[in-house]
Amino acid sequence: MRSIHASIPLAMTLSAMFSSGIGMAYADPVTITLNSWRTEDIAVWQDTILPAFEAKHPDIKIEFAPINTNEYNAAIQSQVEGGAGGDLITCRPFDVNREWIKRGYFESLEGLPGLANFDKTSRAAWSGADDKTYCLPVAAVLAGFYYNADIFKELGLKVPTTSAEFIAVLEAIKKDGRYTPLAYGSAESWQLAYNGLYSIGPAYWKGEDGRLGLIDGKKKLTDPEFVDAIAAFAAWKPFLPAGQESLNYADMTQLFTLGKAAILPDGSWDINQATSTNLNVGVFGPPAPKAGDQRYLQEMPDMGIGINAKSAHKDAAKTFLDWVAGPEFQELYVNAAPGFFAMSSKPVTYKNKLAQDFADLKKGAELTPRLALDRLSAGTPPLDDETWRLLQVMFTKSDVTPQQVATELQAGLASWYGPQKK
Amino acid sequence: MISPAAAYRNLLLFVLPALAVYLVFAVLPLATSIVMSFFQTSGASGRTFVGLANYERLFTHPTISARFWNALLNNIQYFAIHLIVEVPVGLLLAALLTSGKLARSEGIYRTLLFIPATLSVVIVGFVWRLIINPLWGLVGFPLLGTESTALTTISLMSVWQYFGIPMVFLYSALLAVPNELVEAAKIDGASGWTTFWKIKFPLIAPQFGLIAILTYIWTFNGFDLVFALNGSAPGPNYSTDILGTYFYRTFFGSSGQLADLDLGAAVATVIFLTVLLVTAAYFWLIQRRLKSYSV
Repeated sequence: MRSIHASIPLAMTLSAMFSSGIGMAYADPVTITLNSWRTEDIAVWQDTILPAFEAKHPDIKIEFAPINTNEYNAAIQSQVEGGAGGDLITCRPFDVNREWIKRGYFESLEGLPGLANFDKTSRAAWSGADDKTYCLPVAAVLAGFYYNADIFKELGLKVPTTSAEFIAVLEAIKKDGRYTPLAYGSAESWQLAYNGLYSIGPAYWKGEDGRLGLIDGKKKLTDPEFVDAIAAFAAWKPFLPAGQESLNYADMTQLFTLGKAAILPDGSWDINQATSTNLNVGVFGPPAPKAGDQRYLQEMPDMGIGINAKSAHKDAAKTFLDWVAGPEFQELYVNAAPGFFAMSSKPVTYKNKLAQDFADLKKGAELTPRLALDRLSAGTPPLDDETWRLLQVMFTKSDVTPQQVATELQAGLASWYGPQKK
Repeated sequence: MISPAAAYRNLLLFVLPALAVYLVFAVLPLATSIVMSFFQTSGASGRTFVGLANYERLFTHPTISARFWNALLNNIQYFAIHLIVEVPVGLLLAALLTSGKLARSEGIYRTLLFIPATLSVVIVGFVWRLIINPLWGLVGFPLLGTESTALTTISLMSVWQYFGIPMVFLYSALLAVPNELVEAAKIDGASGWTTFWKIKFPLIAPQFGLIAILTYIWTFNGFDLVFALNGSAPGPNYSTDILGTYFYRTFFGSSGQLADLDLGAAVATVIFLTVLLVTAAYFWLIQRRLKSYSV
């Protein structure tokens, strides 16, 4: 039970001093630093990606300087506002980054040749109010359903394509009784939103139609398409393991990898864990409400890289980003970190079979990012946080209806978001 | 023989290193954090002085203040459970340890009982989460996933970890009770029960105040166990949110949430004052009046 508040500002100052020291280091070749929240990627960058870049550009050295994920936003904010920070900064998608752009953290990337490899939708997560792009799109993540192909075979089940088929599959697994239909629990509320509602919901609210409709105020969360989506999600409840209220993310992944559950609703980033026990795992996308309906898939821009407006080595940083925009980097990165997908319009091949299967789900599907992260979470209460909380309430209490969830979400959003006020 | 002035000079010289470390690593960050709470960041351009605006937002914004009061009330409950459970358990175990009935095994028990307090909270959280896990553990009921039981469950995990501390305080106080008094009571025909409550207990009573205030400081600066178990938006429905996690969430933001350093600093200052005022009041009103017993 240690006090945490006293030492934070000082730690911030110290780390700001450190990175500014590195940023200013003058040497030949030029050394530039890249800040990232992906501490787990350190080997990927140091052993695979950076050597490939430095082989082509011996005059530039890149130092990968990750910061603990939870502290990333605070660290970057205090460093950049203190006139420091790395030369290259990994960008959070949407609202956080929009505010960072507004505060002048980044140099605009307009005019960077490599930017042509990305269409407007891919750049949207990192554009400012002026419509200019400030970060280069690096990777997106997808959400879908992992399934245990052996269990499906044993029970004679087919991969569901509609909501009715999906429920029928779950019923069949439940009736058989040997396996848990869905490896899913509600102790960690974020994944109720990200792997649940935001994954199956777009098929109901028609992806970008619904999402942009909320943003410009033409739609409300209490509209039938949103209530139906929440209801379709609530319909999972009978198929969850007993005590799901206190099962966390690790528990559900484990339940699936031990072969005790048939389906794991999860994000593409979990590919390595989901297949860690060599099960015969397949993947399918969110079911359509009716047969023949348009398919939708959640594609969430996860990270971009921008140039610190205060960097002393902007030219070197641009050279690097131009390389990041090309196929060589995209292919290196997505194969070194399976579960992350290139956002470039240039084709990329995935060596991991499941990753390729995930990428194949994109074909013919309309892609849409997570519902609440663009503009709708830039005030208090943030719609995203409220979604986490209320879905968890719905999943842990028996008397909360989808209608109530929608009403409360709408009330929270309308309390501060201009286009929804009225 | 050196002069008193020189003695003071030497004293200062010896204190200086510790004082410097304390100033740089405790006082300075604390002061910086308090100063920060009066400012607002308006971009890379700079920070503007806003007076008490951050505090106003903390106490009046419908969502921000509701979460704050919720965290404060949860924290009071977290403290109360610690106090109500830890102290009697500590007292009972200390009394058993000093009863003389354990003979040689006293040392072993003392060590065993204190071990949890030396464990890392991450381990304690992990182990308990597995023990009460409805899937692999011993309890079928989702204790951590139910709003009405989650906070009590976490509090009791923490109690399990830290009961050794009041136990050790009371144990050493009991050892310090002069034997003459106990023997005199025995000669007067007092039973073990009477001796404990009429002789020993009044002598160790001052310890309870100290334990209470330390528990108060620890629980109001508490953070790590809740964070290890439930992350920085501790659910369900913020039912396990305490001031430490509320601060963390505000100050550091999350992947989709901006870090609000200024409001975070205001929260940190409020936590600091909550702890400081009560602790100061305790020392002023109670600790100062205590007198040591002399035979």
